[in-house]
Amino acid sequence: MKKVLIPFVMVAVLVAIPYVGVTAGGQAYLFGVIVPYTAAAIFLLGFLYRMIDWLKRPVPFRITTTAGQEKTLDWIPYNRIDSPATPMQAWVRILLEVFFFRSLFRNTKAELREGPSFTFASSKWLWMGGLAFHWSLLVIVLRHTRFFFAELPGFVQPIEVADRFMELTLPAFYLTDALVLAAITFLFVRRLRDVKLSVISLPTDYFPLLLIGSIAVAGVLMRYVDKVDIMTVKALTMNLAQFSFDPVPGDIGPIFYVHLFLVSVLMAYIPFSKLMHMGGIFLSPTRNLCNNSREKRHVNPWNKPIKFRTYAEYEDEFREKMKKAKLPLEKE
Amino acid sequence: MSNRISTILAFVIAVIMFVAAWFFMQSGDGASAPARAEAPVAAPKEVPIDSTRCVASTEWMKSHHMQLLNQWRHDSVREGNRTYATPDGRHFDKSLNTCLGCHASNPMFCFMCHEYANVKPTCWNCHISPMEATK
Ligand code: HEC
Ligand code: HEC
Ligand code: HEC
Repeated sequence: MKKVLIPFVMVAVLVAIPYVGVTAGGQAYLFGVIVPYTAAAIFLLGFLYRMIDWLKRPVPFRITTTAGQEKTLDWIPYNRIDSPATPMQAWVRILLEVFFFRSLFRNTKAELREGPSFTFASSKWLWMGGLAFHWSLLVIVLRHTRFFFAELPGFVQPIEVADRFMELTLPAFYLTDALVLAAITFLFVRRLRDVKLSVISLPTDYFPLLLIGSIAVAGVLMRYVDKVDIMTVKALTMNLAQFSFDPVPGDIGPIFYVHLFLVSVLMAYIPFSKLMHMGGIFLSPTRNLCNNSREKRHVNPWNKPIKFRTYAEYEDEFREKMKKAKLPLEKE
Repeated sequence: MSNRISTILAFVIAVIMFVAAWFFMQSGDGASAPARAEAPVAAPKEVPIDSTRCVASTEWMKSHHMQLLNQWRHDSVREGNRTYATPDGRHFDKSLNTCLGCHASNPMFCFMCHEYANVKPTCWNCHISPMEATK
């Protein structure tokens, strides 16, 4: 339980810092301008550092975790996505993984039943919860472009219209707001309920869930419940988008600063945490390498050069002796 | 090895530059906040009402007007209660037209904020829009 409690207390403190800082300390500039810029810088530099670091790691061999037939002879059909033979096909495998989580789709559940019998069953819940969570987050991030652009980018408009089509409340209720909260609750409860999972879960598994959950809750609260003045918010975010250091253009409710501060913490946290999987997935060798070990010989580049000795050389050296012993020779 | 890095780096930098260029092109102009609404002129009515104040405090209206409209819509359409009494004793018809009555002097009143904040209420699909109302 301590594993859940510690991240919980951490997030609570992170919520309290901007709240107290803005309401009691009057530090709107700190939390509205300085902290977001700092966090964005940490995010960008940290992300780049991590990626370059990973890119520098050599991957001399193909790691073939295939779920399909590898390309061999022409008349044997092979699986282009699960066992790609060209970089193009490997890209398809990565993108399908990124957008549809194919490897989670294969998730199985192992259970020890009465009997005792050990059973496996396909389990799609994690896949579904993960999809709902990630897609909602993507839509939510895209929707936030309305704060950083004078005009919504063209492709965001249809997304946003689709998202609000329920027309339940004013301001319009967004479907993804409910989805993301439901999905993150599921992902959180899943870790607690399953004993096997809660044993392997670490505080660093709970912390991002709680952090992202709190961001979502703060956002939902300030949109539907304790409303903040969007006009001032947009004036501030436009300033941020133009890298200006102007003072915060007006009073905004403290809950906005809580939201912004948690987002800043999240941005700064990403390069140091498991959330780096957003960049790492593109570099994961089991996804981005084509399985062409049969087609092409892969040589480890830092192998010591081996001195080969051919039979011809051997024969040259021992020809006379072999002749005496009447051994057959290739070359007289 | 280094070839791979430079290809990917070049790709990443190209994407960043593309996004940044697009970003600055988009967010460069039209980014200034609209001027505050001018104090509306009273629309002639049988009962003179104080039109120098909104139906609630300006501060509150700025962020909550859509919730008020939602409430008004619910009250008048679902419950038939069409009169809204402000705490300071003024009475208003719970209708979108009430807003336009006071805010008619600037037909762009509702729009300039919404343009800026990128909100597109669907109300004008059916209701008379302030642009048409002043014609
Ligand atoms: C001070 C600027 C301002 C003015 C003036 C203004 N609005 Fe708004 N309005 C906003 C903002 C900002 C939002 C978005 C709020 C949000 O997303 O939480 C909004 C949202 C709305 C919404 C909900 C839109 C949705 O579906 O999310 C409605 C309806 C609305 N306004 C109606 C009106 C009407 C009618 C008028 C004119 C009488 C008006 N507004 C004038 C700033 C303004
Ligand atoms: C009795 C006349 C009157 C009526 C009716 C009225 N308003 Fe107002 N409204 C005003 C005045 C006056 C202001 C103050 C403008 C200022 O402070 O610059 C104002 C301000 C506002 C603001 C803030 C504008 C800003 O730039 O800060 C909004 C939003 C608003 N009204 C929306 C509405 C909506 C929506 C309705 C209908 C539900 C409505 N008003 C009905 C008179 C009225
Ligand atoms: C599909 C068309 C349609 C849309 C869209 C629509 N309304 Fe209405 N609205 C109506 C009709 C029809 C009535 C009933 C008019 C009556 O009873 O006099 C009404 C009534 C109302 C009323 C009360 C009565 C009156 O005369 O104004 C309010 C307030 C109102 N709507 C607000 C809104 C707001 C705010 C929006 C945007 C979020 C909106 N409506 C969008 C059709 C629509």
